[in-house]
Formats: sequence, structure tokens, C-alpha cells
Amino acid sequence: MRNFEDDPTLTDLLSRDQLARLNQSLSALCSAPVELSEQKPGTDATPVEFNLETVGWLSGAGSAEERQAASGIVAFLMMFIAKYRLAANLHHDATEASYAELQRQNEALKESEARYRELSDQLQEKVDQQVKVINKTQHELYESARLRSVGQLAAGVAHEINNPIGFISSNLRVARDYVKELGEALPETSANEELLADFNDLLAESIDGTNRIASIVSDLKTFSSIDQADYTRCSINQLLTSAIHLVQTEYQHQLDIVERLNEVPEISGHPSRLSQTFFNLLDNAAQAIRDAEPEKGQGRILVKTQVQANEVQIIIQDNGCGIPEDQRAKVFDAFFTSRPIGSGTGLGLTVARDTARAHGGQLQLDTREGTGTRVLLTLPIN
Amino acid sequence: MPDFSPDDNKLALKVVFYGPALSGKTTNLMQLHSLLNPERKGELMVLETRDDRTLFFDMLPIGLRGSSGLDLRLKLYTVPGQVQHDSTRKAVLSRADGVVFVADSQPSQQDNNAIAFGNLEENLEKVGLDIDTLPMVVQFNKRDIPDVVPEQELQERWADTPWSPLVMASALRGDGVIESFQILLDRLYTQIDDEFHLAADHGISRRIFVERLSRSSGQGAPCA
Repeated sequence: MRNFEDDPTLTDLLSRDQLARLNQSLSALCSAPVELSEQKPGTDATPVEFNLETVGWLSGAGSAEERQAASGIVAFLMMFIAKYRLAANLHHDATEASYAELQRQNEALKESEARYRELSDQLQEKVDQQVKVINKTQHELYESARLRSVGQLAAGVAHEINNPIGFISSNLRVARDYVKELGEALPETSANEELLADFNDLLAESIDGTNRIASIVSDLKTFSSIDQADYTRCSINQLLTSAIHLVQTEYQHQLDIVERLNEVPEISGHPSRLSQTFFNLLDNAAQAIRDAEPEKGQGRILVKTQVQANEVQIIIQDNGCGIPEDQRAKVFDAFFTSRPIGSGTGLGLTVARDTARAHGGQLQLDTREGTGTRVLLTLPIN
Repeated sequence: MPDFSPDDNKLALKVVFYGPALSGKTTNLMQLHSLLNPERKGELMVLETRDDRTLFFDMLPIGLRGSSGLDLRLKLYTVPGQVQHDSTRKAVLSRADGVVFVADSQPSQQDNNAIAFGNLEENLEKVGLDIDTLPMVVQFNKRDIPDVVPEQELQERWADTPWSPLVMASALRGDGVIESFQILLDRLYTQIDDEFHLAADHGISRRIFVERLSRSSGQGAPCA
């Protein structure tokens, strides 16, 4: 590449036409034709010096003096041409350099813009993540507040009921003994016998009733786990049994629930949240059975526990209505519900899945519309 | 960097007069043109625009021949000092072999001196030259103007730099111009003799180099 400061040659400075014209003009001045050329033409030539450089040779002319004078004129001309050339070349160089610099800056700018765009995307992603975390925390907060209030109510009710049910139960047993004694003291008439038998039945039914109340209270206490606020060793089967009792109570003991509870080890967990989860899943199953086509026949819920590898598997399966395909993707979304407004919070499966994850486990849902739903909850043994 | 063409046995060197606007770079060159009588001297090319401000550059070629026939050329350039001509400054500065930094001695111009020096440092880096190894002379011009910054103060300020002592000059009067140039030639010689063995191969000793390129019009030719 030529530099702006490289010494110019004659052809750099003058075009062929310009050179011809110069030769013509010089020839007119001298007594014989004059020729300016870049290469030394022969011995009879005078160098044209410009800036210490011989740019060309003058030949011809009438004498050496004439050539010398012509050479002086050419050198004088050269200075102005070279000045312009130098300035033009420098301007060209400087402009090119500026342009290259501009392009470099443009590249750098593009690069930095891309970097900022990426950063902005990352930020958006982070914001989205944070929003998700906030939503999740909000649900958990909502659910735990609800649990706590339900738990407190249940614990309060249980406590209040426990005392009277205690003495009612014990009084009923004493009353049964008294009835026995009364029967021995009374004359043996058929009317008396009938009366006593009926009285005994009444008392037996009442005792049975109080037993059921006591068991519901006990289930309520387990369910609310008001005594166990934090993680503790939980018996999955025991929690499941309590949840089944509560669901049965809710559905007037009309549900056909098959329990296949195998022996599983205790795991570390949050009993009240696990109970809530089991209850939610059973409640869903129960509603699915109720919503199923009547001609399907008797609905049934299968509850099964088993140990698989290092996990406890809890399977709650129903042959109810199943979940339509278009709703499947949304069932874990918070506040999504297929039920009429007011009858469900839309948090049942959300909480169930969150609880499973909080325990390091997972929740899997297999469903077919019209056939039923199978929920597999796996919790690690730890 | 020196431009050596072995075919022509020609070595071209480039010295650039750098500095803030109106510090007297062109005046330095004009004085050198009229004061110097080097072995060979070309035309002074002045490319100035209206107001006598340098638009592109000024250029003065000088030269000498070594005993080996070496055609040694020195092209002296000035740069435009005005801030907006930075790309021109950079283009002129590229491949420079030496720099004379012409500073303005007036107290009001000290900031501009510093800015121009910073610009020099920056542009040298951009064209791939190192200010610490490039032969350079710092000249404080306009000593003829009253109330300039005292020499002692300037010398002390620059005492810890490689360019101390500074050269005081009045380019308008012709004082200090040749002196600055000679100091630069001396430093330049050190640099290029290493590479081109001027003394050994071409019979150009340091003394010949400095004297022949900077002898003044009044002086006779020194014996070779």
C-alpha cells in the first residue's frame, strides 16, 4: 500500500495529456523541442529535481542552459502539483482511517447493544422467575393461613367435645350396667323384657355413636396436627387413614374406598400438610365418582401405599369422570377449578404438588376422560 | 519507523513537530528552512489555509549522503494543532521516527499543552508507537512574550520525565529552534544507528549526522 508521504513519480504527478501539453509549452519556449520523461533518455539530459528526488529528465532543447531553465520551471510547477497531491492523499488516508475507526466503533456499538439486549432478556427472565416465586409463596401463605385457622378451629372443637364425650361415654356404660341390674330386679313379664331389650339397644347405639364421635375428634386432631407445627416423623398410613375417615364423614360414609396399605417406613414430613394433601386427593376422587355417568355403576376409590426403591409411593385411584384433555395442562395452575364458583378454591392440586415438592417428592397424574384418574405421589424415605 | 530501500540505498526518516494549536510548529519549520544549510535541502511545502492556520501539514525535506552512497532523507512535518484535525494528526504521526513537541510558554496555554501532550500519547499508541522509546524533544516556545511561565518552574515540572531538560525557544526570533532540532537528531541517531549501523556501514558518525543535517547557513562545511 502506498503511503501519502511516499515520494511521487512523474506519472503520479502528471497525466499523459498533461505531460504532452507541458512538453509542448516548454518546446515553444525553447529553440528546439523539449521532452520530459521519467526514465533518463540518453546522455544529453538534465535531471528535474523535486524534494531531493529526481522525478524526471529533460532532453532536447537548444542548449544545456535552455534545459536548465526549463528544468527550473518544471520543478517549480511540480511543487504545486505535489502539494495538492500530498494534501489529497493525506486527506484520503485520514478519511479512510476515520471511516475504519467509525466502522470499528459501529461494530463495538452493535456488540454492546447485543450484550445489553441479552442482559435485558436475562433480567426479564429473572423478573419472571421472581414473580413465580412470589406467586408460589403467596399460595403457600394463603394455604398455610387457612390450614392454621382450620387447625385451630378443629383443635378447639376437639378439645371442647373431648370432655363431654368422655363423660357421656362413661355414663352410658354405667347406665348399661344399671339397666342390667334393673332387669334382674324387675318382674319377668314380656312387656318388661321387650322394654329392657330396646333400652339396651338404644344404649349400645349411643355408645357406638360416642365412639364414632371420639374417633372423628381424634382424626381431626391428627389432621390439624396442631401439636406438630414442624417437620416430624410421620406415619403415612396413619395420616391416610385419618384423611379417609374425614372424607367418609364428609360423604356420609357412602364412599367405597378400598385400602391397600402396605407397611411403609415413617418419613420426615409435615403431617398437617401431608394430611391436607391426602384429603385433597381423596376429595377430588370422591367428587370425580359423584360426577361420573350414572350408568358406569358403582364408583370406587383405591388407596394404596408401597415402598419402591428408596421411595414411598401413595396411589389414589378412582374410576370417576376423569379430566378432559383440554383441562389437563391447567390442573396444577393455582386457582384453576372446573367446579362451580364457590365450591372449590382451585388450589387442591396446586397445594398437593407443592407439598410433594417441598418433601423432595413428586406428584404424577394419569387421567382419561370418562375412565378415571390415578394419582401417584412419591415421597423419598429419609 | 525508518523506511529503508536497499535497492536505492535510501533511508527515509520522519520527524513530526507536534503541539497545541498556535504554539509555533510551522514557525519552527520555516525557521529551520531559512536557518539551516544542510547538505541537501528541498522546498518547504506549506499547506496552510486562510488565517495562516495549518490545515494538513507542512513539510521540509533535507538529506545527506553517506560514504557508501547512502541517500539519507529526513522529512520534517508539522501537524495541524487544532483539536478537530485529529485524524490528520494521526495520519501524519504514523511511522514517525522522532517528535519535537512544541509547547506554548504562556500561562494561559498550559492546559492546552497538557491536552496536546495527552493527545500525542494517545495517537502514538493508536499508530503503534511507544512514547517512552520514541526519540523526542520538548520545546517551550514563545519565550519572547512577556510574563511567560518561568523557565525554572517548567524545568522543575518536567524534571522527572525522560524529556528533561526542556529547550526554551523563540521560534519567531529563531532562538532555540536549531538547538531543539539538534537534540532530536542526537536522540534519533542513537535509535537508528543501532539498526542501520550508520557509522560502521555508511561512514555517518553521530557528529556528521547532527552537524551536516543541522549546520546553519553561516557555518562552513565541517571536514568529513
